Amino acid sequence: MSTYQSLSSEKLTVVLDIGSAFTRFGFTTDFAPRYIIRSEVRCKKTNKLRKICDYDSADDLYDMLVELIHIIYFKYALISPKDRPIVIVESLLCPTLFRETLAKVLFLQYEVSSILVLPSHLVALASLANDTGLVVDVGYKEAVVIPVCHGLPILQAWQALPLGGEHIHSHLKSLLSSSNTGIQNLPENFLEDIKVRCCFVTKSSRVEQLEGGKPEYAPPPDVVYPYAGTESILVTGKVREKTFEILYEEDNDHLCLSTMILDAILKVNMDLRQKLAENLVLIGGTVMTLGFKARLKEELQKQLNNDRYKVLNIHEFKFHTLPCKENYAAWLGGAIYGATEFLSMKAISKDFYLREKHLPDWINLKDINNTVSRTL
Amino acid sequence: MSYITGPEIVKYACTCGLLKPLPELYFCRHCSQIRCSFCLCHAVDSFFCGKCSENIPSAEARHKKNRCANCVICPSCQQELSTRVASKGPINPDDAKSAVKKSYYLSCHFCHWTSRDVGIPDQPSATGCWPERENVHINRLQEVLDVYQDIMLSQQQQKENSKKKRGKFVSYTDRTGVTASALRRRIGIPDIPHAKIKKPKPLDPAIAKSEVEELPEDIFTEPLKLMEITTIDQRLMQPESQPLTVDKLFPIHKQLTIKRSLRCRTCEHNVCKPEYNPTSVKFKIQLFAYYYIPEIRFVTVEPLRAGQTSELIIKFTNPTQHQTTITIFDLDLEEQEKYVEEQKLFDIIDNFEQAMSLEEKQQLSLPSLVMSSGSQPSSMYSLQSRQPSVIVKPRKINQAVNCNVAIPESTFILPPRDDAAEYDDSSDVHNIEDDPKLVKWRKSNKAFIKLAVTPAADLKIDDEVVCGFTMQHIYTNVIPAIVENMPHKYDHKVRVFFRLGKIVGSE
Repeated sequence: MSTYQSLSSEKLTVVLDIGSAFTRFGFTTDFAPRYIIRSEVRCKKTNKLRKICDYDSADDLYDMLVELIHIIYFKYALISPKDRPIVIVESLLCPTLFRETLAKVLFLQYEVSSILVLPSHLVALASLANDTGLVVDVGYKEAVVIPVCHGLPILQAWQALPLGGEHIHSHLKSLLSSSNTGIQNLPENFLEDIKVRCCFVTKSSRVEQLEGGKPEYAPPPDVVYPYAGTESILVTGKVREKTFEILYEEDNDHLCLSTMILDAILKVNMDLRQKLAENLVLIGGTVMTLGFKARLKEELQKQLNNDRYKVLNIHEFKFHTLPCKENYAAWLGGAIYGATEFLSMKAISKDFYLREKHLPDWINLKDINNTVSRTL
Repeated sequence: MSYITGPEIVKYACTCGLLKPLPELYFCRHCSQIRCSFCLCHAVDSFFCGKCSENIPSAEARHKKNRCANCVICPSCQQELSTRVASKGPINPDDAKSAVKKSYYLSCHFCHWTSRDVGIPDQPSATGCWPERENVHINRLQEVLDVYQDIMLSQQQQKENSKKKRGKFVSYTDRTGVTASALRRRIGIPDIPHAKIKKPKPLDPAIAKSEVEELPEDIFTEPLKLMEITTIDQRLMQPESQPLTVDKLFPIHKQLTIKRSLRCRTCEHNVCKPEYNPTSVKFKIQLFAYYYIPEIRFVTVEPLRAGQTSELIIKFTNPTQHQTTITIFDLDLEEQEKYVEEQKLFDIIDNFEQAMSLEEKQQLSLPSLVMSSGSQPSSMYSLQSRQPSVIVKPRKINQAVNCNVAIPESTFILPPRDDAAEYDDSSDVHNIEDDPKLVKWRKSNKAFIKLAVTPAADLKIDDEVVCGFTMQHIYTNVIPAIVENMPHKYDHKVRVFFRLGKIVGSE
């Protein structure tokens, strides 16, 4: 079935999920992205790689997106973007500047026929065939929690903290430079590889031992990591264990990853709280770390004893296991939505964009009024 | 070669306002304008494999997921894998007639990864039907997708039905009793729009579990074997499985490459179209600026000092078969700005957009048509197979100039290119009267020009010096079709920028 569908050219629709660290793209009717590439382009002036999310201005972002989408279409996707629809998966908290510039690039530079914009938290539930769930997206720049109830994201309950890959990398960098003398500016890609290959999220019982300096604490074995050809870096057992601890260190407002989830539950209607706690969905690259889920469960249980969360009256948390890798869960949702008639029904056409000059957004009162008057 | 890959000393301004070296620019003969990859419309022309140079039709490429069926790359270092023969000895060593049985495996010359490392059995044929890995969740996901598709289809049909019922007027065919739905209504059976609509079957949602994968205990005691754990790049090469350990890396089919054709957005003519054959490096259409615009190369400059005049020598080459006259004008950036302003034919006054400082100032190729079409898309659009392109907005040239060029009063002539002249020593005689102040030396279609440049007085040592001027040359149009209604020869202007180098200290 899917083979014949992919043969007809009309069905070939690109699904794009531009994250702050990685961009996932593929086609609808596929169940995994074709490629996951870094969201980076080479700067023409300095000849260095620049991350898309580090843009200076709208024009700068425009040029970088033109470059990135050119690479995606002509190096990987290998189809002409002109007069074809495209599915974009993006966070509900995506900056207006970014999404407007992306729409401008796609409609004016690449002349796509229509864009279907999907909120990542909502579509991440599609592969589970579930309409209610608390979606926790721990990405590169930030961790965002948005509850989805009966197919509607509860935006008033959103929680976001800058806890993600970037934060972990800088923490790991400082840990490594303090344990290795003379090692200062480690490149980010190198740190990322150390994080992925050596580090893990430890158990909360061991953290108590580690911090209390208890004698029964035995650090895990050290790793000698090759660096710059001939040199090597010592990644001590303590560093391996401590790297991910910042996710659970409460900041000055007593906020961390576990409180974010509980705060989000606290903000929704009382009748839905139990259901949300029993439908936790973890997406994003960082949650793929070894031991992440187990530790999050422990931390959530620990926080429940806190007075702040006594009112919740929740005793158990249940986690969903996605039928895919977590780092492309939102993309997969977009691919499923894009493969249905939803694409032709809800996509924003080029005519509409050229008339309205902007992409409809939930935050824009004008669009909300428009849709209300249309439904009336 | 360093001229092509090295630092970009001489840059030409494209019509869209970007600065690029001459080999990266195109020249649309139909609009007589310089174009670059930024302001051209790209399209995929043909698919081929970069390793075996085999041309692959687009339908097949799509079916094979844009990958070559035969060539595979190393999952460890992404180099191309080669097939190796492993000959097993004859089954019966005593029998001289029994053939040596050959089997094949894959090996990487670069990192010495082999398909035996991950336990792929040797294959009896060289082309090898290397085992593919299946997504374990594919059945469930297909089920989910089918249900979603059914739901959306029934929703769409419901919407269409409700639209039909709302109609106030009975259609003509209904009155004559022709349609099935009218018949049904007459005899009192409820109107069933389509027999095809079936209620989407309910799907059991995924069930969350309270048990989670615990951290393995041995992680605290067992030493980490770094060589067995994949890097993030290796994992992301196989997005579907993302193997954590090296023994789960499978060979990957090589990604196909494409040939691109480029089309001018204003006149819809191709400016570059490659030949279909992947082994051919020729083009069917190649309107590179290199063949139409006189090429300028930087020869030498006297040491640059702030506020002092130095002599700059540049070389002009005429690439065309026609004689041309070159005039150097002042670099008039204001004029370019005016041109950019003119292009914004309709400004959209939109308070929200202005607040976001993201206003669209786009000239459409058919602005009146789009604006008049209003809420209803014009029926002309659907009739056309290709939609007219949207022209990329030209921008202001973003290059500051900090050096003054003394504009010469006279012009000079560049003779046409003559390939035979290269081998002819005797023909180095010119009947061209040159201004000795301007032209230093000339040979066949090349001329060396002297210019006086003065860096701005406020520059400091080690500051980069940039100068520029507008070059006007006579472009001879040779397309027969449009010669009639366009002048045969006309002046074409292009802005050229030079990075002269750095300011040196005083003597």
